[in-house]
Amino acid sequence: MADARTRRVKKEIQDIQNDRQAGLTIELVNDSIFHLIGSFPGPPGTCYEGGKFDVDIVVPETYPFVALKMKFLSKVYHPNISSASGAICLDILKDNWSPILTLKSTLISLQSLLCTPEPNDPQDAEVAKHYLTSKSSFEETARYWTETYARPQTNEGRGAPSGTSKTSHLPTVRDEVAMAGLERAHVEQFEALGFERGRVIEVLKRINYRGANVPKISEDTVVEELLK
Amino acid sequence: MSDESDYYMDDSASDNYYDDDDDEMVDGTQDSDRESSPASEGEASDDDAFGVELSAAALGKVKRKSYEVNFETLSDAAVDRLMNKEAEHVAGIFGLEPSTALLLLRHMAWNKERLIEKYMDNPEAVRKDAGILAAPPLAPTSSSSSAGVRRSARRANSVQPSAPPSTPFMCPVCCDDEPPNTYALACGHAFCSTCWETYLHTKVREEGEFTVRCMDSDCKLLADDAFIARVCSKEDSKRHHELVSRNFVGNSSQYKFCPLPGCSYTISCPSAASKSSLMTIVPTVKCPENHVFCFGCSLDQDHRPLICHVSKLWLKKCQDDSETANWIKSNTKECTKCQSTIEKNGGCNHMTCKKCKNEFCWVCMGPWAEHGNAWYTCNRYEEREGVEARDAQSKSRASLERYLQYYNRWANHEQSARLSLDLYSKTEKKMEEMQTTSNLTWIEVQFARKAVDEVFKCRMTLKWTYAMAFYLAKGNEKELFEDNQRDLEKAVEDLSELLESPIDPDNIPVLRQKMTDKTVYVLKRNEILLDDTAQGYLDGRWKWNADAAILNEAE
Ligand SMILES: [Zn+2]
Ligand SMILES: [Zn+2]
Ligand SMILES: [Zn+2]
Ligand SMILES: [Zn+2]
Ligand SMILES: [Zn+2]
Ligand SMILES: [Zn+2]
Repeated sequence: MADARTRRVKKEIQDIQNDRQAGLTIELVNDSIFHLIGSFPGPPGTCYEGGKFDVDIVVPETYPFVALKMKFLSKVYHPNISSASGAICLDILKDNWSPILTLKSTLISLQSLLCTPEPNDPQDAEVAKHYLTSKSSFEETARYWTETYARPQTNEGRGAPSGTSKTSHLPTVRDEVAMAGLERAHVEQFEALGFERGRVIEVLKRINYRGANVPKISEDTVVEELLK
Repeated sequence: MSDESDYYMDDSASDNYYDDDDDEMVDGTQDSDRESSPASEGEASDDDAFGVELSAAALGKVKRKSYEVNFETLSDAAVDRLMNKEAEHVAGIFGLEPSTALLLLRHMAWNKERLIEKYMDNPEAVRKDAGILAAPPLAPTSSSSSAGVRRSARRANSVQPSAPPSTPFMCPVCCDDEPPNTYALACGHAFCSTCWETYLHTKVREEGEFTVRCMDSDCKLLADDAFIARVCSKEDSKRHHELVSRNFVGNSSQYKFCPLPGCSYTISCPSAASKSSLMTIVPTVKCPENHVFCFGCSLDQDHRPLICHVSKLWLKKCQDDSETANWIKSNTKECTKCQSTIEKNGGCNHMTCKKCKNEFCWVCMGPWAEHGNAWYTCNRYEEREGVEARDAQSKSRASLERYLQYYNRWANHEQSARLSLDLYSKTEKKMEEMQTTSNLTWIEVQFARKAVDEVFKCRMTLKWTYAMAFYLAKGNEKELFEDNQRDLEKAVEDLSELLESPIDPDNIPVLRQKMTDKTVYVLKRNEILLDDTAQGYLDGRWKWNADAAILNEAE
């Protein structure tokens, strides 16, 4: 079976390399065809447009009878992707895996996952809440993340991919408020009460202090949370 | 573990009991084991009681005791028959193949009523949802030319192996373009036999999954048991069957697996099948391997006389409080300064080491001087508790101490019961000695073994009576319960003491008489206690205190 697995994975890698149109790329990590980094462009017309998303891929021993193990290396702001770890909530990577799915079809599924968030089955609850409360604010944040974290890289440093996130290439100055998808005025309002900025952002994010929620959450409630 | 769910005086008859027919349901272990009706036990003090083999047949079917339940062991074949009967029932109603009905029942987690209702309502939807319907016409590249596939697509999901298609074929999974053999489900999605085999192996062995669908990504078609048996190895097929029957038993309230690891017996206990029945009975059952467990909650021990719900509360409490409990439980501690052992006496927490005069607090082990005028209670303890225990703020020291009182007795009986098992081996030695030094026969020296058995059993009962007493509301009923508890406890301690006393070969007849009498007495006390509590549940006599208050309302 090991031969069949090797044969198949090699063929799958070739398939991706031969099909330039799909815009997918695939690279080996440590010269192993069973540990890969795949990437795809953010779908046009979405808040992920213009980004290039890197995915860590491990091909399990029993592949293709069990699913590929995948997680995002690029940080993504999306209800079904953990904003912290890159873990992905997608049925075909779990129960609905089929042995005829491939590296290519799975990467394309991830790409289309970016077009069709499922906030009701979230991987990242805070992001999902944001999405459900205010879609426009969510999109703004997701766009900001795309610009900050998923900028297409030139080929430098690509010779020996280490499997680590590309975040190391990031500009160091980031706007924490925009990253968190919050209003600058709200953050400043509570900062003015003497709370530290980081703490204010953490709490406002957790209680989803956005859009229509804002008038429903009293200042006292926020202060109480801040004091906890 | 010794057999502890029954109280007859001779069990040699039961040893072969379960072996009579592997393929049939093994019948009522309890009824026939309980040959000792109250009357026969009254006579048990008679010298011959331990020697005479009472046959169940001779006594006829004795009415079971109030604290016992009828149950039976089901063989694997019997479980299969029950499973198939359900499938045939459904198949009969809707004119389906039984194999299809099986798939539908599994899809509905064996809820037959719901399946029937939903199927009546919209058969196509149910079939589609379950993965029974063949997918829409096949992709032309897959073996559409296979006549075998077409034929079988008619009804169930089962399939003939499709001959390697005449058109160029490549297995979509392994990319082999000359596979020796291919299979397809009714949908016609063909894959090579090696891939099918590996796929099934992965599902069944590695994922413990018995629901296997077509390997095509857009096809939800289920493989039925015949297909699985045909395609995968014998071992995998056997494992698949095990998973399938586990699922059946697991989804039924009438049957339970023996919870002991590695044991696969199924027990049926109709009287304990409903949730409400568990408010009044403790359905202790025993598998043919002599594993005693509770049919109600699958706890791997006899927790009579305490009903499942309250037993669970107690075990949870023991778990939650174990840290605090262990911390305070022991009655000796080491001086914080010189490490000499100090025993706590009385309720005062102000400890003064006799050796070095160090003064410290028993509860927090901190220097006493820091306690200021809070000498009567340790605030630091409350603080610590607030951090450590979940509901600590409301928990007073007093209630903790109350719990510990019961817990200590519970734990003591548990420990003593274990020790009595050690005693067992010593007793066996004694018996051998006795047999060689006296003219007694093997059967005549069984009295010591019986005594040990009884001590173990009754300590388990006593253990649970402390959990029960912890939750019983104060009052007359509780006092009567505690009277029974006290009587049993005293009888057990007496018998334990006697068991540990040295054996004088000259005195064996006297010892034998004494031990037999005491064993019979212990047995009787245990029966009285269990009978009274069982009766109390039926009469609604037991009221629970605030710690188990939810249960009073439920009644
Ligand atoms: Zn194949
Ligand atoms: Zn199919
Ligand atoms: Zn068992
Ligand atoms: Zn139970
Ligand atoms: Zn000392
Ligand atoms: Zn103290």
